[in-house]
Amino acid sequence: MEREVSDSDFRLFVKTVRQYSKYDFSDYSDKSLKRMVGKVIADKKTDINRLVRDISNYSDYLESIINKVTVNTTELFRDPSVWKFLRKKVLPGLKTWSTINIWHAGCSTGQEVYSMLILLNEAGLFDRARVIATDINSEVLKVARSGKYRYRFNKGYLENFDLVVGRSRDKSTGAANVPYSRYLDVDEERDIISIKPFLLEKPVFKKHDLVAGEVSYPGKFDLIICRNVVIYFNHSLQNRIFEMFCNNLHPGGILVIGSHETIASPVSDRFIRTGHAYKKPGIF
Amino acid sequence: MYKAIIIGGSAGSFQVVARILNALNSDFPVPVLLILHRLKHVRSGFVEALSIKSSIPVREPDDKDYIRPGFAWLAPSNYHLFVELGNRFALSTEPQVNHSRPSIDLSFFSAAKAYRQDLAGIILSGANRDGAGGLKMVGDMGGTTIVQDPNECQVPVMPLESMKITKVQHVYNTEQIIRFFKKIQGNAQI
Ligand SMILES: C[S@@+](CC[C@H](N)C(=O)[O-])C[C@H]1O[C@@H](n2cnc3c(N)ncnc32)[C@H](O)[C@@H]1O
Repeated sequence: MEREVSDSDFRLFVKTVRQYSKYDFSDYSDKSLKRMVGKVIADKKTDINRLVRDISNYSDYLESIINKVTVNTTELFRDPSVWKFLRKKVLPGLKTWSTINIWHAGCSTGQEVYSMLILLNEAGLFDRARVIATDINSEVLKVARSGKYRYRFNKGYLENFDLVVGRSRDKSTGAANVPYSRYLDVDEERDIISIKPFLLEKPVFKKHDLVAGEVSYPGKFDLIICRNVVIYFNHSLQNRIFEMFCNNLHPGGILVIGSHETIASPVSDRFIRTGHAYKKPGIF
Repeated sequence: MYKAIIIGGSAGSFQVVARILNALNSDFPVPVLLILHRLKHVRSGFVEALSIKSSIPVREPDDKDYIRPGFAWLAPSNYHLFVELGNRFALSTEPQVNHSRPSIDLSFFSAAKAYRQDLAGIILSGANRDGAGGLKMVGDMGGTTIVQDPNECQVPVMPLESMKITKVQHVYNTEQIIRFFKKIQGNAQI
């Protein structure tokens, strides 16, 4: 039950990965990563010495281990209140922009990306959006590109959809609610929810390690969304990442972080905060 | 002197927690960590419901918040809550453990390792075995272990499971648990 690896085994793992790859986990929050490493060792019925030996000998193996130690939990419209906030308070402010450059950092299997695209489409902003979505984990990116998710396990997606989008139409106008079928196909028999092709075509999914720095992109971003990713980093790495995000935003651009995350001072001084959205001050 | 008190509870624990928090002085000197399973439909409003009864503010910590005294820190639903180096909280969304997120065990493990003998762990009413391993770890690390008296519990499974796998130091009813808190309060004033 308690499968956390010891401090010294953990340091050996981090050191080996750093030595044999470009990944650096030294500034990860240790609790979660220690457990994930312990889980890999248990699942593979191996021990720390064999693990680091194999990591140092085979780069494919190292890559596969990286994919296993990251935590990839996500949902369509995870934390509906955040999405309602985005719909009501953030998207209207983007209407005056001719293009909207969006970066989802740590997008996992893509649900967050498609959630955003659905909201953009409802707001009439879909065509103006350019979307890049990145993750360190190459496996989750494959799933993200496919836009296919299990249905029975994820019925909550449809509930979230209704909370955020379905009932979003003004009741006074009597306009019909938005059906999820506009964006999703549900195949109960095969147990699949698939994202409609027009949504799939939009985002560029790309492997990228946040710890290594900026993502290559022509220009800066208007919106950066990074939720439940830096919770796996220690406080100082978090601050570095938030600084990097700020530097990669246009003036007036917005950083959205998770519902249980905050940016601490002094980095927070570089933003104006409303709820979960941190705005980089514009030019007046 | 304790550095933290951590409480785990599930079915039938809400009223007990509310009574404890109600009995504290507003300057209670030690951070109180609450790892409570919540039913899906009462996820929101939980902080508010506890706050009404509590003498100290009830907060759901953000990731990397300092673990400060003067608050009851309630594990946010759908996250595991850890005690990190540097006396900060850390959140994680890794899979459920024993069908639970937050997992009482995970929080107790990390608190036990961080605070060792300066921690008191309390397991209240509940219908599963989450928390038993965690309380054992608190004891193994030299901390104080307490369970709510199974005879008083609405659902005694959690305390009973704890008692099965570790020698729990104190079996207390709610009144006695409150007295335990008052004593900490009193000691701090001397
Ligand atoms: C819990 S998921 C969050 C998914 C989504 N943003 C959400 O909130 O629903 C965290 C993701 O961060 C990714 N990640 C972890 N470390 C990273 C790094 N250094 N660079 C990029 N992505 C990283 C993981 O692979 C994982 O997919």
